[in-house]
Amino acid sequence: MMMRPFVEALRTFKREPFRSIDLVEKLGYATGYARNFLSQATRQGLLIAESRKGKREKTFRANPSVVKEIVLKGGKEKEELLEALGLHSRYAGEYVALKGFRVVDHDPDLYRLGERALSDAEAQDQLVITNVGVPRKIVTIET
Amino acid sequence: MGAAVDIGKCWDFKDDEQPPYPVIEVTLSSADRKVTITPKVDTGFNGSVAIDREIAKRLHVTPKGTVLVRTATGHRETPIYPVNLSQLDLAVTYTTLAIGTERSLLGRRFLENKTWLLDCKQGRFCIVTPTGTSDGD
Repeated sequence: MMMRPFVEALRTFKREPFRSIDLVEKLGYATGYARNFLSQATRQGLLIAESRKGKREKTFRANPSVVKEIVLKGGKEKEELLEALGLHSRYAGEYVALKGFRVVDHDPDLYRLGERALSDAEAQDQLVITNVGVPRKIVTIET
Repeated sequence: MGAAVDIGKCWDFKDDEQPPYPVIEVTLSSADRKVTITPKVDTGFNGSVAIDREIAKRLHVTPKGTVLVRTATGHRETPIYPVNLSQLDLAVTYTTLAIGTERSLLGRRFLENKTWLLDCKQGRFCIVTPTGTSDGD
Protein backbone atom coordinates (compact mmCIF):
# COMPACT_ATOMS: atom_id res chain seq x y z
CA MET A 1 0.00 0.00 0.00
CA MET A 2 1.17 3.54 -0.72
CA MET A 3 0.37 4.58 2.81
CA ARG A 4 2.74 7.47 3.36
CA PRO A 5 1.60 9.66 0.44
CA PHE A 6 -2.00 8.58 1.09
CA VAL A 7 -1.79 9.74 4.70
CA GLU A 8 -0.13 13.00 3.61
CA ALA A 9 -2.89 13.61 1.06
CA LEU A 10 -5.54 12.80 3.65
CA ARG A 11 -3.94 15.15 6.19
CA THR A 12 -3.79 17.96 3.63
CA PHE A 13 -7.01 17.58 1.65
CA LYS A 14 -9.19 15.72 4.20
CA ARG A 15 -12.31 14.58 2.36
CA GLU A 16 -12.05 17.20 -0.37
CA PRO A 17 -11.19 16.31 -3.98
CA PHE A 18 -7.70 17.11 -5.23
CA ARG A 19 -5.80 16.98 -8.50
CA SER A 20 -2.39 15.76 -9.50
CA ILE A 21 -1.16 19.36 -9.61
CA ASP A 22 -2.28 19.88 -5.99
CA LEU A 23 0.10 17.14 -4.89
CA VAL A 24 2.90 18.90 -6.72
CA GLU A 25 2.08 22.36 -5.42
CA LYS A 26 1.01 21.59 -1.85
CA LEU A 27 3.04 18.52 -1.00
CA GLY A 28 6.07 19.21 -3.16
CA TYR A 29 5.85 15.92 -5.05
CA ALA A 30 7.56 15.50 -8.41
CA THR A 31 5.00 15.29 -11.23
CA GLY A 32 5.92 11.71 -12.09
CA TYR A 33 5.72 10.61 -8.45
CA ALA A 34 2.33 12.28 -8.01
CA ARG A 35 0.93 10.56 -11.10
CA ASN A 36 2.36 7.21 -10.08
CA PHE A 37 0.89 7.56 -6.59
CA LEU A 38 -2.55 8.51 -7.93
CA SER A 39 -2.57 5.61 -10.33
CA GLN A 40 -1.43 3.02 -7.77
CA ALA A 41 -3.54 4.34 -4.90
CA THR A 42 -6.63 4.31 -7.12
CA ARG A 43 -5.91 0.73 -8.15
CA GLN A 44 -5.48 -0.24 -4.50
CA GLY A 45 -8.80 1.38 -3.61
CA LEU A 46 -7.26 4.05 -1.37
CA LEU A 47 -8.47 6.83 -3.65
CA ILE A 48 -11.59 7.31 -5.74
CA ALA A 49 -11.01 8.91 -9.15
CA GLU A 50 -13.70 11.25 -10.41
CA SER A 51 -14.14 12.95 -13.76
CA ARG A 52 -15.60 16.42 -13.63
CA LYS A 53 -18.06 17.49 -16.28
CA GLY A 54 -16.34 19.39 -19.08
CA LYS A 55 -12.90 18.94 -17.50
CA ARG A 56 -10.22 16.68 -18.86
CA GLU A 57 -8.28 16.35 -15.66
CA LYS A 58 -9.49 13.88 -13.07
CA THR A 59 -9.90 14.66 -9.42
CA PHE A 60 -9.26 12.25 -6.59
CA ARG A 61 -10.46 11.88 -3.06
CA ALA A 62 -9.70 9.51 -0.22
CA ASN A 63 -11.92 6.44 -0.20
CA PRO A 64 -13.80 6.30 3.14
CA SER A 65 -14.11 2.51 3.02
CA VAL A 66 -10.35 2.07 3.55
CA VAL A 67 -10.67 3.37 7.11
CA LYS A 68 -12.18 0.11 8.34
CA GLU A 69 -9.54 -1.94 6.53
CA ILE A 70 -6.66 0.08 7.98
CA VAL A 71 -8.09 0.09 11.52
CA LEU A 72 -8.55 -3.68 11.43
CA LYS A 73 -4.95 -4.13 10.33
CA GLY A 74 -3.82 -1.94 13.23
CA GLY A 75 -0.24 -0.94 13.87
CA LYS A 76 1.61 2.09 12.61
CA GLU A 77 -0.67 2.62 9.61
CA LYS A 78 -3.70 2.90 11.89
CA GLU A 79 -1.91 5.42 14.08
CA GLU A 80 -0.90 7.49 11.04
CA LEU A 81 -4.44 7.40 9.67
CA LEU A 82 -6.00 8.55 12.96
CA GLU A 83 -3.42 11.31 13.23
CA ALA A 84 -4.08 12.43 9.63
CA LEU A 85 -7.80 12.59 10.41
CA GLY A 86 -6.99 14.93 13.29
CA LEU A 87 -8.39 12.56 15.91
CA HIS A 88 -5.41 12.70 18.27
CA SER A 89 -6.05 16.35 19.09
CA ARG A 90 -9.75 15.81 19.83
CA TYR A 91 -10.13 12.27 21.16
CA ALA A 92 -6.78 11.32 22.70
CA GLY A 93 -7.27 8.68 25.39
CA GLU A 94 -10.76 7.76 24.15
CA TYR A 95 -12.33 5.11 21.97
CA VAL A 96 -14.05 6.18 18.75
CA ALA A 97 -16.62 4.59 16.46
CA LEU A 98 -15.86 5.51 12.87
CA LYS A 99 -18.07 5.33 9.82
CA GLY A 100 -15.70 6.10 6.99
CA PHE A 101 -13.82 9.25 7.98
CA ARG A 102 -16.59 10.38 10.32
CA VAL A 103 -16.52 9.90 14.09
CA VAL A 104 -20.10 8.85 14.87
CA ASP A 105 -19.54 8.27 18.59
CA HIS A 106 -16.78 8.36 21.19
CA ASP A 107 -16.32 7.47 24.84
CA PRO A 108 -13.46 6.97 27.31
CA ASP A 109 -15.09 3.60 28.17
CA LEU A 110 -14.85 0.91 25.48
CA TYR A 111 -17.84 -1.02 26.80
CA ARG A 112 -20.17 1.97 27.00
CA LEU A 113 -19.24 2.89 23.43
CA GLY A 114 -19.66 -0.73 22.31
CA GLU A 115 -23.10 -0.94 23.88
CA ARG A 116 -24.29 2.11 21.95
CA ALA A 117 -22.55 1.21 18.70
CA LEU A 118 -23.77 -2.39 18.67
CA SER A 119 -27.36 -1.30 19.24
CA ASP A 120 -27.41 0.39 15.84
CA ALA A 121 -28.02 -2.68 13.68
CA GLU A 122 -28.13 -0.75 10.40
CA ALA A 123 -24.68 0.77 10.78
CA GLN A 124 -22.91 -2.48 11.70
CA ASP A 125 -21.30 -3.23 8.35
CA GLN A 126 -19.50 0.08 8.05
CA LEU A 127 -18.75 0.83 11.68
CA VAL A 128 -15.31 0.26 13.18
CA ILE A 129 -14.17 0.90 16.75
CA THR A 130 -10.67 1.75 17.93
CA ASN A 131 -8.64 3.63 20.50
CA VAL A 132 -7.01 6.99 19.89
CA GLY A 133 -3.61 7.00 21.58
CA VAL A 134 -3.32 5.18 24.90
CA PRO A 135 -6.84 4.86 26.37
CA ARG A 136 -7.41 6.48 29.77
CA LYS A 137 -9.54 3.45 30.67
CA ILE A 138 -7.35 0.83 29.08
CA VAL A 139 -8.35 -2.83 29.05
CA THR A 140 -5.90 -4.71 31.23
CA ILE A 141 -5.09 -8.40 30.99
CA GLU A 142 -2.46 -9.14 33.58
CA THR A 143 -2.17 -12.90 33.21
CA MET B 1 -22.22 -11.10 64.30
CA GLY B 2 -21.48 -11.80 60.62
CA ALA B 3 -23.17 -11.70 57.26
CA ALA B 4 -25.35 -14.69 56.42
CA VAL B 5 -25.23 -15.84 52.83
CA ASP B 6 -26.93 -18.38 50.64
CA ILE B 7 -24.59 -20.23 48.35
CA GLY B 8 -26.13 -20.44 44.91
CA LYS B 9 -24.81 -21.98 41.75
CA CYS B 10 -21.20 -23.26 41.94
CA TRP B 11 -18.74 -24.22 39.23
CA ASP B 12 -15.94 -26.67 40.03
CA PHE B 13 -12.39 -25.44 39.49
CA LYS B 14 -10.83 -26.70 36.29
CA ASP B 15 -7.78 -28.85 37.01
CA ASP B 16 -6.27 -29.29 33.57
CA GLU B 17 -3.37 -27.17 34.86
CA GLN B 18 -1.84 -26.49 38.24
CA PRO B 19 -2.99 -24.85 40.34
CA PRO B 20 -6.66 -25.51 39.48
CA TYR B 21 -8.49 -22.32 38.57
CA PRO B 22 -12.04 -20.95 38.87
CA VAL B 23 -14.32 -21.00 35.84
CA ILE B 24 -17.90 -20.07 34.97
CA GLU B 25 -19.89 -21.65 32.19
CA VAL B 26 -21.20 -19.04 29.76
CA THR B 27 -22.82 -19.12 26.36
CA LEU B 28 -21.56 -16.86 23.60
CA SER B 29 -23.55 -16.33 20.47
CA SER B 30 -23.24 -14.45 17.21
CA ALA B 31 -25.82 -13.89 14.48
CA ASP B 32 -25.82 -17.55 13.48
CA ARG B 33 -23.68 -19.52 15.96
CA LYS B 34 -23.76 -20.44 19.63
CA VAL B 35 -20.87 -21.77 21.73
CA THR B 36 -20.87 -22.76 25.41
CA ILE B 37 -17.49 -22.42 27.11
CA THR B 38 -16.02 -22.41 30.63
CA PRO B 39 -13.43 -19.61 30.58
CA LYS B 40 -11.03 -18.93 33.41
CA VAL B 41 -12.19 -16.27 35.84
CA ASP B 42 -9.41 -13.73 35.85
CA THR B 43 -9.55 -10.78 38.24
CA GLY B 44 -6.48 -9.34 36.53
CA PHE B 45 -8.67 -8.75 33.46
CA ASN B 46 -10.80 -5.63 33.88
CA GLY B 47 -13.00 -6.33 30.85
CA SER B 48 -16.03 -8.54 30.45
CA VAL B 49 -15.07 -11.48 28.25
CA ALA B 50 -12.05 -12.41 26.18
CA ILE B 51 -12.10 -15.08 23.49
CA ASP B 52 -9.34 -17.01 21.80
CA ARG B 53 -9.02 -17.48 18.04
CA GLU B 54 -10.71 -20.85 18.04
CA ILE B 55 -13.85 -19.51 19.73
CA ALA B 56 -13.93 -16.51 17.37
CA LYS B 57 -13.71 -18.95 14.47
CA ARG B 58 -16.45 -21.18 15.86
CA LEU B 59 -18.71 -18.16 16.35
CA HIS B 60 -18.00 -16.89 12.81
CA VAL B 61 -17.46 -13.39 14.17
CA THR B 62 -15.39 -10.80 12.38
CA PRO B 63 -13.54 -8.04 14.26
CA LYS B 64 -15.44 -4.84 14.93
CA GLY B 65 -12.17 -3.00 15.44
CA THR B 66 -8.81 -3.10 17.16
CA VAL B 67 -7.85 -1.75 20.57
CA LEU B 68 -4.73 -1.33 22.60
CA VAL B 69 -4.63 -3.50 25.74
CA ARG B 70 -2.14 -3.64 28.59
CA THR B 71 -0.70 -7.04 29.40
CA ALA B 72 1.82 -8.29 31.92
CA THR B 73 4.56 -7.82 29.35
CA GLY B 74 3.55 -4.45 27.88
CA HIS B 75 1.00 -3.05 25.44
CA ARG B 76 -0.39 -4.78 22.39
CA GLU B 77 -3.13 -4.29 19.86
CA THR B 78 -5.90 -6.84 19.72
CA PRO B 79 -9.14 -7.38 17.76
CA ILE B 80 -12.54 -6.87 19.38
CA TYR B 81 -15.57 -8.98 18.46
CA PRO B 82 -19.28 -8.34 18.94
CA VAL B 83 -20.82 -11.22 20.90
CA ASN B 84 -23.91 -11.94 22.93
CA LEU B 85 -22.92 -13.19 26.38
CA SER B 86 -25.38 -15.13 28.49
CA GLN B 87 -25.31 -17.00 31.79
CA LEU B 88 -28.72 -18.37 32.66
CA ASP B 89 -28.01 -19.16 36.36
CA LEU B 90 -27.12 -15.51 36.86
CA ALA B 91 -29.99 -14.31 34.65
CA VAL B 92 -27.46 -12.40 32.59
CA THR B 93 -27.61 -11.78 28.87
CA TYR B 94 -26.17 -8.85 26.98
CA THR B 95 -24.31 -7.88 23.84
CA THR B 96 -20.74 -6.80 24.40
CA LEU B 97 -17.33 -6.50 22.83
CA ALA B 98 -15.13 -9.53 23.42
CA ILE B 99 -11.39 -8.95 23.49
CA GLY B 100 -9.36 -11.24 21.25
CA THR B 101 -6.72 -13.02 23.34
CA GLU B 102 -4.68 -16.20 23.39
CA ARG B 103 -6.95 -17.66 26.05
CA SER B 104 -10.65 -17.19 26.77
CA LEU B 105 -11.28 -15.30 30.03
CA LEU B 106 -14.04 -13.78 32.12
CA GLY B 107 -13.07 -10.52 33.77
CA ARG B 108 -14.07 -8.20 36.57
CA ARG B 109 -16.69 -6.43 34.50
CA PHE B 110 -18.61 -9.70 34.28
CA LEU B 111 -18.25 -10.31 38.04
CA GLU B 112 -19.08 -6.81 39.25
CA ASN B 113 -22.09 -6.03 41.42
CA LYS B 114 -22.35 -9.62 42.61
CA THR B 115 -20.96 -11.45 45.63
CA TRP B 116 -18.73 -14.42 44.93
CA LEU B 117 -17.23 -17.22 46.97
CA LEU B 118 -13.80 -18.50 45.99
CA ASP B 119 -13.88 -21.83 47.82
CA CYS B 120 -10.36 -23.20 47.49
CA LYS B 121 -11.03 -25.88 50.11
CA GLN B 122 -13.70 -27.52 47.99
CA GLY B 123 -12.31 -26.30 44.69
CA ARG B 124 -15.35 -24.35 43.52
CA PHE B 125 -16.40 -20.85 42.57
CA CYS B 126 -19.90 -19.84 43.65
CA ILE B 127 -22.35 -17.00 43.43
CA VAL B 128 -23.63 -16.09 46.88
CA THR B 129 -26.61 -14.07 48.01
CA PRO B 130 -26.39 -12.09 51.24
CA THR B 131 -29.48 -12.89 53.33
CA GLY B 132 -28.95 -10.49 56.23
CA THR B 133 -26.95 -10.87 59.40
CA SER B 134 -26.44 -13.83 61.67
CA ASP B 135 -25.36 -14.05 65.31
CA GLY B 136 -22.86 -16.74 64.52
CA ASP B 137 -22.56 -20.12 66.25
